[in-house]
Amino acid sequence: MAASAVASPEQYLGEVLAREQTSLWADAWRRLKRNRLALVGAVYLTLLVLVALLAIVWTPYPVDHQGVVPSYAAPSLAGTPFPHLLGGDASARDILSRLMVGAQISLIVGVGTQIAVLAVGIPLGLVAGFYRGPIDAILTFIINVFYGIPDLLVALILVFVLSGGTGKPRLEYIIIAIAGTRWMDMARLVRGQTLSLREREFVEAAKASGARPIKTIFGHILPNSLGPIIVQATLGIPQAILFEAFLSFLGLGVPPPTPSWGAMASDGIQSMRIAVHIVLAPSIALSVTLMAFNFLGDGLRDALDPRQKR
Amino acid sequence: MTEPILQVKNLRTDFFTDDGVVKAVRDVSFDLMPGETLGIVGESGCGKSVTALSILGLVQPPGKIVGGEVLLRGQDLLKLSPSEMRDVRGKDVAMIFQDPLSSLNPVLKVGFQIEEAMLAHREARTGIHQRAVDLLKQVRIPAAENRVKDYPHQFSGGMRQRAMIAMGLSNEPSVLIADEPTTALDVTVQAQILELLRDLNQELGTSIMLITHNLGVVAGLCKRVIVMYAGEIVEEGPVEQIFEHPQHPYTWSLLRAVPRIDSNRHARLQSIEGLPPDLIQPPPGCAFHPRCPFRVEKCFTDDPPLVGVGPNQRAACWVTMDRAYDEMGAADMQDIRPGAASGIHPKGRVAPGSASEAEVTADIQGG
Repeated sequence: MAASAVASPEQYLGEVLAREQTSLWADAWRRLKRNRLALVGAVYLTLLVLVALLAIVWTPYPVDHQGVVPSYAAPSLAGTPFPHLLGGDASARDILSRLMVGAQISLIVGVGTQIAVLAVGIPLGLVAGFYRGPIDAILTFIINVFYGIPDLLVALILVFVLSGGTGKPRLEYIIIAIAGTRWMDMARLVRGQTLSLREREFVEAAKASGARPIKTIFGHILPNSLGPIIVQATLGIPQAILFEAFLSFLGLGVPPPTPSWGAMASDGIQSMRIAVHIVLAPSIALSVTLMAFNFLGDGLRDALDPRQKR
Repeated sequence: MTEPILQVKNLRTDFFTDDGVVKAVRDVSFDLMPGETLGIVGESGCGKSVTALSILGLVQPPGKIVGGEVLLRGQDLLKLSPSEMRDVRGKDVAMIFQDPLSSLNPVLKVGFQIEEAMLAHREARTGIHQRAVDLLKQVRIPAAENRVKDYPHQFSGGMRQRAMIAMGLSNEPSVLIADEPTTALDVTVQAQILELLRDLNQELGTSIMLITHNLGVVAGLCKRVIVMYAGEIVEEGPVEQIFEHPQHPYTWSLLRAVPRIDSNRHARLQSIEGLPPDLIQPPPGCAFHPRCPFRVEKCFTDDPPLVGVGPNQRAACWVTMDRAYDEMGAADMQDIRPGAASGIHPKGRVAPGSASEAEVTADIQGG
């Protein structure tokens, strides 16, 4: 632009107008930053991710080693080489170390489940909403059937089938099983978005310019429904984490000795009278994480909702 | 004699609703010549937009084209497969819509959307960005190099419509259908957009089919005009001729209803009495007869054909305005209520003593 020394009024005006490059996403980010709770949630979750990453290479004590700390030891600054900040559990393992690895499990389950849910829900919702007709009727029927079966039953059946009838769960099976109870929400959301977006004029304009259906779906409808999808996925993560904890609590989740927060809480509850910290540590970690995801999800919902221009 | 680029023959489009079959387009035929600017005017719901959508095969269920032909250079578009039809859309026949904001995808950059429109009809990406910039320049958007990177909400209403036009022109179509392109814009911007369309028509030779309810817009851009009423063409001809010597009472009433800057400011605005007819059960005879001041007995029973009434002018009317002027005193008529001039009111169509009959009686006495 510097080439012409004297800019014409039109050029000047154009430059001034073009300067403020605010995309929808930049706008959303600006609104999100003003939401304290969402920001706190985001910061906490960033730390959690870092802790989980750290736990891959380093934990204060090996997670499975028994006897690194006295059984039922209360949280303290004592301990060599590292203080047992959260004390020890019934099997004399370091709770902080286990909690760190548990964060990995929770995040993998939460995010993994949502990836599976997105992979299933988005295409199904788009196809059903865009083409309507019999495809839509069949999908809606399947969704309703899934809604009718209790989540726990669906999850248990899926784990059973995936593990070849042995009922021995692995992390992947748990993820797929939880996704099996959660994909309907996403499919229904995307279907609803598609149904409303397909009537919009820009979709008609795209058709009038000769765009193929696949391009219309992925180029026009999907980008416009990303906001609600992101919110739904963010709010779905804590649900999945909670469901995994619930399964583990029941002894149906990730098999021991893998330290899932739910399994840790389940262990702790047996010794609640002598050492309450064993159940409290994973429970508080779980609650705070769930809250953080929910705050962030709510913040995203406000930020991505174009009607709430503040 | 050059061949018409687009011929619509006996087009009929119905909407199969729960209340019955809405006959939105009833036997419409017209030609569009290369480089021509054709206006299609009529009230809301008279079938203008449905005609345009039918040409592009974009009528959505419950609507369906039930008859006729749409010939593009002699090839019937209605017989094409969906994928062949997609190749025509945007490439041979492009369309721009009424509301430019909702016609642009809010989450995609304007330049990207223009590029996408081009990519629908070509494989190579080379040069399309520059072409998008050039197109924006062609539709007179300042600092086009920067504005291609903008999102639709950063454009003003007029600029959005310019961007839509750029998109429509991106594949150099031979026909551009503009459906109420200026309705959502304010008057000064309307004038700019019309000027742009006129220039592009002359520069590129693109035929333009302009759909509007605004007679001023037609006068500003079009050479020829088609007037539609209740899904039918009621009059067609060169713009000057139609404006000066309308032959169909509907056209005449429409022109009278246009507010004029030189009229007495205390004079009441002339409107057309009544409402457009129910297209599920169109009135028998001429569709306009329930609202026509010049109706005769025949209008109640027989649908008038579209016949030549002057050089290049055709009208579908049993009376025509020539006769209305000569015999019915149309020149200085104040009361243009149904049947006012001819004095013909349907016998037995209105129950005796009902409110409508009282009104009708008052009409006759007042007129």
